Amino acid sequence: MPKIDELEATARRALHIFYVLDTSGSMTGTPVATLNRAMEETVEVLRKQAKSNADAELKIAVLEFNTGARWIQPNGPENMEDFIWEDLSAGGLTDVGAALSELDSKLSRKAFLNSMTGAYLPIIIFMSDGYATDNYQKALDEIRQNKWFARSTKIGFALGENPDMKMISEVVGNSEAVVRTQDLDLFARLIKFASVTASMMCSTSRTSNQDVTGADILKEAIDQGSAPESIVENVPVDVPESSADEKDSASDGWDADDWE
Amino acid sequence: MSEKLSSGYRINTLLGKEAVIEKWLGEGGQGDVYAVQYGGERKALKWYKPCGMGKNPQAFYENVKDNVMRGSPSPEFLWPQDVTEWKDGVFGYIMDLRPDGYYEVSDFMLTNVRFTSYKTIIDAALHIVSAYRILHNIGYSYQDLNDGNFFINPKNGKVLICDNDNVAPDGRKTGIIGKPRYMAPEIVMGLRDPYNLSDRFSMSIILFILFCLTHPLEGKRSLVPAMSPELQEKLYGSEALFIMDPEDRSNAPDPKIHRNMRAVWPCLPAYMQEIFLKAFGQDAMKNPNARPAELEWVNALVRFRSEIEQCQCGNEIFTEDGAPCVCECCRRKLSIPFRLRFQEYAIPGTPGSRIYRCQVGSCKLDEVLKPVGLVVSKKDDPSLIGIRNMTDKSWNAETPSGKSKRVMPGEVIPMKAGITFTIHDETIKIESN
Repeated sequence: MPKIDELEATARRALHIFYVLDTSGSMTGTPVATLNRAMEETVEVLRKQAKSNADAELKIAVLEFNTGARWIQPNGPENMEDFIWEDLSAGGLTDVGAALSELDSKLSRKAFLNSMTGAYLPIIIFMSDGYATDNYQKALDEIRQNKWFARSTKIGFALGENPDMKMISEVVGNSEAVVRTQDLDLFARLIKFASVTASMMCSTSRTSNQDVTGADILKEAIDQGSAPESIVENVPVDVPESSADEKDSASDGWDADDWE
Repeated sequence: MSEKLSSGYRINTLLGKEAVIEKWLGEGGQGDVYAVQYGGERKALKWYKPCGMGKNPQAFYENVKDNVMRGSPSPEFLWPQDVTEWKDGVFGYIMDLRPDGYYEVSDFMLTNVRFTSYKTIIDAALHIVSAYRILHNIGYSYQDLNDGNFFINPKNGKVLICDNDNVAPDGRKTGIIGKPRYMAPEIVMGLRDPYNLSDRFSMSIILFILFCLTHPLEGKRSLVPAMSPELQEKLYGSEALFIMDPEDRSNAPDPKIHRNMRAVWPCLPAYMQEIFLKAFGQDAMKNPNARPAELEWVNALVRFRSEIEQCQCGNEIFTEDGAPCVCECCRRKLSIPFRLRFQEYAIPGTPGSRIYRCQVGSCKLDEVLKPVGLVVSKKDDPSLIGIRNMTDKSWNAETPSGKSKRVMPGEVIPMKAGITFTIHDETIKIESN
């Protein structure tokens, strides 16, 4: 018999969590400080979980946007088990279009999604507290054609007094998956609960064969955080049918070469 | 993670006791587990998340309550002992704490912990199979069988089965259908609700993982860049395919990713390969009745256990038909002077070899793994060996010359070629190698 000590750990599919975070000038002061502490705590919990998660290998990448957009991990998503949060600082514009273009360019097998062991559909957590300062519509139209974006689980957070609910809902593609709050402590709790719930999606027993959506995850986070349901504000958005979906179903998605 | 109950928090229970929170221990998809003081004892409290009680929380509560009233079917189950009152729309139940030294299946999968030997893996597998056999035989099913349900001791193979809140009379819906990757194809496809035969499929996945550290349905095909729900439905449902399927190799192990398969599978005895092939064959995927019954698992595993010998170098060797063989590690020849021939196979007759109750005819559920015979060596001359009668009944033995002898409980039959002896329904012959 082979030596038990020589066997390798069971192969796990990657589960990528992307945080797309607004660090524009309006986040200066308490908001960005709260964001940093919330992310630090979130990462701490996720890191502990990743060590015993046999269902998925958690990977994390953080994209901040202000004047332009910048990956904190330019070489691609890092293993959650080794990940350390680096504090972000706020300042500059709100270039949502730049963030979406950057995200679009990396949501590809040739870029950030190149796991040898296969992958689950990614999770994207998007947070903003204001209105876009660039023309994001073109970038949004383009990223909606990206299969990974179209099929990812997306959750939105709208912070502060005057967030652009329409823009955030359009990015997330489902207004029921967007939380709006001015309460920073509540935001900190909810982003943690939502991140943890999303990361355990593949490990949780189901009640039905239906897919788990961003809205389901938020609902659970809201239950756990004892937050009022009313913080999910319903802004109807018109999400065009993604041609990415059609391509996917035509090829059944079996062929790895279909995805780029 | 959810808001935690704080230390000192008090909750009343159905049986008129009180649970006082000591500390938070951990969390799963359905809820958190706390250490509590309960009726003067330290116990565990599983406390549900609002989303962890299925579609119908009240029915879920009733089911846990029924399980408390019924009591544990077998010591392997960390069974609900009391249920709490409702607090803010959720509740919990009391069970024994997990003792030290027990780990989850995921810890074994990630090699955070390893079994000390293959015999220990087999013992763990036997405990799991026996526990489900007992559960299924009293008309219950587990319904949410997955890698999170077991605590296993890597040193002795002892198993505790937790999360028994979904256990229900077969056919009763608990609102939980199972965990992705561990559900039977018919459940994944939404053709029916979980029941004892879907339990069998999920149990086979766990057994395969314990031996191979590989998911049986995750070969080349599963290395997809994006596991969409539709793909998930195919890979684990409508087009589920065993990684070692001999007919269709499209889901074969990837040589770089699934290296464990290349190491373990060829070393498994033919009857173990066969039972896995049966459990994950296309017949069993589509027809739940074609899945191996628990007793078939027990028989294969007991035989496997009997056929493993340990070399002086520490390596475990699978001996075929009780015959001598060479250690693949140190190339030493393993001396097996005698073998014990059963009707269908032979096992090595070396000190420590055991004959189990289930190898000598049908028996009661709780006696399956009871050793009825044990190969022992003489205290003053270890080169002399024999088989001790571990039962409370006498055996009939017959010498090569045809003389009959009675072997009383505790007595030993000397290991001599040609002697036959009968235990219950099985006649065993001593053969020399």
